Amino acid sequence: MTTRRLQQLHPPAVPVDAGDGAEIEISATSPGRWEGHVQLDDGRTTPFLAHRDGQQVHVWIAGESYVFAPPTPTTRARRSGQPAGGDIVSPVPGVVMTVLVASDDIVEAGQDLVIIESMKTEHLVKSPRNGVVEQVLVQEGEQVERGVLLVVLVGVGGEE
Amino acid sequence: MFSKVLVANRGEIAVRVLQTLQAMGIATAAVYSDPDANAPHVALADHAFPLGGSTAEETYLDRRKIMELAKSCGAEAVHPGYGFLAENPAFSRECAEAGLVFIGPSPETIELLGDKIRSKEASVKAGVPVVPSSPMWTPGESQPDDLSSQIGFPLLVKAAAGGGGRGMRMVERVQDLETALESASRESASAFGDGRVFLERYIPSARHVEFQVLADSSGNTIHLLERECSVQRRYQKVIEETPSPILNEDLRTRMAASAVAMAKSAGYTNAGTVEFLVDAQTGEYYFLEMNARIQVEHPITEETLRLDMVEWQTRIAAGESITLSQEDVRPSGHAVECRIYAEDPYSDFAPATGRLLAWRPPSGMGIRLDSGVAEGQEVSAYYDSMLAKLVAWGPDRQSAIGRMQRALESFPVLGVTTNIPFLIRAIAHPDFRSGDYDTGFIAKHPELTAPPASNHLNAAAAAIAERIWQSSGPISGNNMSGQASAITRGTQGPWRGLSKSTFP
Repeated sequence: MTTRRLQQLHPPAVPVDAGDGAEIEISATSPGRWEGHVQLDDGRTTPFLAHRDGQQVHVWIAGESYVFAPPTPTTRARRSGQPAGGDIVSPVPGVVMTVLVASDDIVEAGQDLVIIESMKTEHLVKSPRNGVVEQVLVQEGEQVERGVLLVVLVGVGGEE
Repeated sequence: MFSKVLVANRGEIAVRVLQTLQAMGIATAAVYSDPDANAPHVALADHAFPLGGSTAEETYLDRRKIMELAKSCGAEAVHPGYGFLAENPAFSRECAEAGLVFIGPSPETIELLGDKIRSKEASVKAGVPVVPSSPMWTPGESQPDDLSSQIGFPLLVKAAAGGGGRGMRMVERVQDLETALESASRESASAFGDGRVFLERYIPSARHVEFQVLADSSGNTIHLLERECSVQRRYQKVIEETPSPILNEDLRTRMAASAVAMAKSAGYTNAGTVEFLVDAQTGEYYFLEMNARIQVEHPITEETLRLDMVEWQTRIAAGESITLSQEDVRPSGHAVECRIYAEDPYSDFAPATGRLLAWRPPSGMGIRLDSGVAEGQEVSAYYDSMLAKLVAWGPDRQSAIGRMQRALESFPVLGVTTNIPFLIRAIAHPDFRSGDYDTGFIAKHPELTAPPASNHLNAAAAAIAERIWQSSGPISGNNMSGQASAITRGTQGPWRGLSKSTFP
């Protein structure tokens, strides 16, 4: 019985039993690359392809691609899209087109905070709740990754 | 025929066009941005020239840079692909002034069709019904309420220029209208350099059916039948098929005649597409717009008609006449296309970026992949998120869908999140299988985009990941992220004459 070291980052999912009993036939085929077959709980055998990239392990199996990594404090934020509390993060990678709020602004739930352009499409980042802007951490024209902190809200209250 | 052609595009369409030009014995030139230096279209062309820069504006939209490269490399014509400069009348005009042939319609036709209001007028003149719409709205002008009063809610905000769902918003309540107008206008200004938008009546349970037309400069105009494009997310097509499951022979004949009439009314030359909305309830159809370019989804027409659209575009631009008669246009079998997007289907199709750690396209009977990426390549946020188009042909609809299903299920992609799991569910869905779907298909079936429940598959994936983690250690010694992986070549069956694989 092994303890789980990794957490599923994608697709979003509740923790699963790592299936320690799974029959895996696996071989390393090139640097960072593993391939083989796995027997599923229902008895079927299916091929897989996996790749290790730094701290992440990517596994393709039966049409779905999974990403695993050791748990870190930010993992939770990345998994849910928006972290808990007053931190507003970018839902997409892209460029900050417009910042619509400044420090000390009072914002309402649903109010537009930042506009991110990603792959030629606009994404409006809205406030999840009523509050006051404590800090704006990005500037117009800045490149952001998905999950990067954009705005910090305080005085959290009102509707979720 | 031209001796050399410059392809002013990137990604799968640049690869697609280059392949046909090479098959025709024409010398080719490509252009590329800094992030695309290692892209497949660069490696494929006889010559490739850097545009310098990363954003679309400073590269593939820079008319002056592209024009100068085309002239200095000795090209006689420019193929614009789709998007970027494909429907830019100024570019088409500048090409003509510089003595270069623009492979597409005339600047006047592009101007007319690019203006959604004028194109609707041309449609009415051609006797083709249109969806009611408002006059143009420009930022700074207020009173959007005046515009909406003639249309009613729900309505669509649409960009005067453009396509691909850019600058389009559905609005259900009057209080949301102004925000939607401003956002759509900004997006359109950024994507097309034109911030004008207008309102159009929203037709629920509509089917999106388009007709391909081909017209030469001696006045021959034919149609190449329809494509059904109703599976959409964010007003952008995801799955297309031909023939359409809802057209009967009578409706097909009438719509095809409308498409040809529209093309003639616009003075159209080269390959173009007339888009219609079909009201599934009443069987009525309405002209939506005419696209003055090669469409993303052209391969399904090529597969059922066994012709090469890019070859016809090039021949028409070189002054040749269409040697096909309307009677020659006889489809065989059924074709389906799935667009492979770098996006997260479980997170409202949010665009995804990253490095393609693995990219192993399927092959087999009836399978074609038009791809613009290769394993090891970085997918950036600078450009459109479409990576490739998977096309399946079969002697009938069910066999084409069956082949597509198998191909999607055997298409490993790692490192960049794609919509493949969504596509697998969508084409397996009973409503898609029965052909009973409309543009609301994705919204109506939330199970298509729900994260998969924990099951024996992710349990097995977790076990594999743990095993790899254990065997390669917590600190990965050989820093795989810095290494270029071996690039596998897509192998394709000796199936039909068209070039099947665009995988480099």
